[in-house]
Amino acid sequence: MTRGIWDRETVALLLLAAAMPLAVTWLLATGMQGALRLVFVLIAAGLWHLAFMLARAQPPSFAGALTAFAVAVLAPAELGLLPMLIGISFGVVAGELAFGGWGRNVVNPATVAIAFLGFGFPAAPWPVLPIQLGWAAIAMAAIGMLVGVMAWRIAVSATAVLVIAWYGGMLAMPFLTAAAVVLVLLVCDPVTSAATDLGRWLNGLLYAALVMVFASGWQGAAAVQVAISAALLTSLAAPLLDEIAMRRWLARRKHLG
Amino acid sequence: MPASADIRVHITDQCALFARPSDDFRADILVAAGDKVAQGAPVLRSRRHPDLTLVAPVAGEVAAADLGPGKRLSHILFFHDAKAGRHEHDVSAARAENDPVAVRALLLSAGMWPLFRSRPFGRVPLPAEQPAAIFVMALDTRPDAPLPQLALAGRLDAFLRGCQALASLTNGPVYVCHDGAADLDDLDVGNDRIRLTRIGPFHPHGLAGLQIAARFPAAPGRPVWDVHAEDVVGLGSFLETGLVPETRLVSVSGGALREHRLVRCQPGADLRALTFDIVKPGPHRLLSGSSLDGVEGRWLGPWRRQVAAIAGTGTERSPHWFSAALRRSSRPLPIIPTAALDHAFGGILPAALLVRALAANDSETAMRLGALSLVEEDVALADYITAAAPHLTAMLRAMLDRIAAEEIA
Repeated sequence: MTRGIWDRETVALLLLAAAMPLAVTWLLATGMQGALRLVFVLIAAGLWHLAFMLARAQPPSFAGALTAFAVAVLAPAELGLLPMLIGISFGVVAGELAFGGWGRNVVNPATVAIAFLGFGFPAAPWPVLPIQLGWAAIAMAAIGMLVGVMAWRIAVSATAVLVIAWYGGMLAMPFLTAAAVVLVLLVCDPVTSAATDLGRWLNGLLYAALVMVFASGWQGAAAVQVAISAALLTSLAAPLLDEIAMRRWLARRKHLG
Repeated sequence: MPASADIRVHITDQCALFARPSDDFRADILVAAGDKVAQGAPVLRSRRHPDLTLVAPVAGEVAAADLGPGKRLSHILFFHDAKAGRHEHDVSAARAENDPVAVRALLLSAGMWPLFRSRPFGRVPLPAEQPAAIFVMALDTRPDAPLPQLALAGRLDAFLRGCQALASLTNGPVYVCHDGAADLDDLDVGNDRIRLTRIGPFHPHGLAGLQIAARFPAAPGRPVWDVHAEDVVGLGSFLETGLVPETRLVSVSGGALREHRLVRCQPGADLRALTFDIVKPGPHRLLSGSSLDGVEGRWLGPWRRQVAAIAGTGTERSPHWFSAALRRSSRPLPIIPTAALDHAFGGILPAALLVRALAANDSETAMRLGALSLVEEDVALADYITAAAPHLTAMLRAMLDRIAAEEIA
């Protein structure tokens, strides 16, 4: 009875490793300001993990670092420390730790935190992602899919639709970049995305469709805001997509008895 | 790959018929300690189902016969002594008319019945049970598993006779699952209920449970049996000669051994005798079964064709109280759906949903997702890959036992 390696922390570490190209690109683009922001978010999220470990005996997870990185990249800029702290705390506690830690959460904590900050402080400007982050997102998706911690069906279906829309002129470049970064950081999260084959195809398609709807119909929305809103709604729909996939799987097996 | 004839026959000096307390097998012993028994002679009769008999796995002497409280079988120990000969069963009735009733009665009385495994629940089938389908597994994809074509080589006529006998036990199909290596592709079976089914050569596709789930899901009231191709060969030759097969092909492997070897040994063979001359120095554990799904024990268990020797004592150094507290409080550990988990079910079952239902003890969803076709060995790979705690195998077994109890109630 030997044991394998694909436990929770392995997956979290591989996701972190996959995020490295994106992290380096982002840090090069934002410089010291970005590094400080990342350190602040890391400390805030880490303290909550520590608190839950001491109070609730919940083992901390490296996935917390990925959450912190996503918040640092995508949260609205120029917020000030206190609103930022409140937003991170809400996302990490209500989105992840209250459910029992990473692996048991229903929505991605980073998505919750960013959406909370974005809608709670509408005056704060959304970040404009440099275009090279879109290219780094491709590297992250490639690593994640290669080691199997990201579902390729989600990435492929969403990317196909988004790229076709961009090629057809229905999606501007900033929207495509933001959608790509949010796709790899938040939508492809293995815990909160759909977990069946068909569900994953639908998950990617739904995300891309929501991005397109918001980008064309939502007057004055920033690119990141559009992508985050689409990611939040998609992750809420993931259980439904799995249920659809399961129903179809069962219907196709009806003849087997 | 060694030729079939090169494989050494290794009848160990001691062997045992045994049952675990959870099997709750209540039996009458037909022999006493010290009796000489021929190989294949009846030694045990089930008290619940008096038709069902178990036979001596080896020619020799009964060394000890242990029944626990309530006449539950603990074990019967045999010493090997070739002079005791082989017991010949009267097969004329079954052979003359190929009568299903006679075949069934003969298999029950000659101790061949426990070669079958019935799903749902993975038990020896009841004597009156009519399977909805039978799966013959002519491949084994587990790591280091013995190649069934070695057991089949040169004995295809016995295999065919066995398949015909199986077809007489069921009104449904008999699936012969193979990977093309055993030359079964263009076998003329002469019975349209016997279906040759070619399946992929990679683990876990060779597990009977996944094939049953994919092709003919088992359900209460719709039992599906599976049986290994080597046992079908044994069945065929038994119906011809009346002699219960003496040996089965077993692979002995594992990290604690210096070499990997194939032997033909008797059922219930002594695992220590099979490994003592090739084991590396240091503590080790002997598993009956592969390194994925084996259980620690002294004797080769029923349906097992592998012996794995794992280095180490199995008891890890106790961790620091703090990390132990963290680990214990968060059980069952969350299982993250990855590509590895999908592969662990061969893409046949929706892996993440099934594992989630198992861990959440949601038997209704697990049943809809095919858990009734599975037994422990079918989730052993997922268990290994995800390092699940508690073990998925234990959670599946607990769920199956509860479903079985509810079925009876």
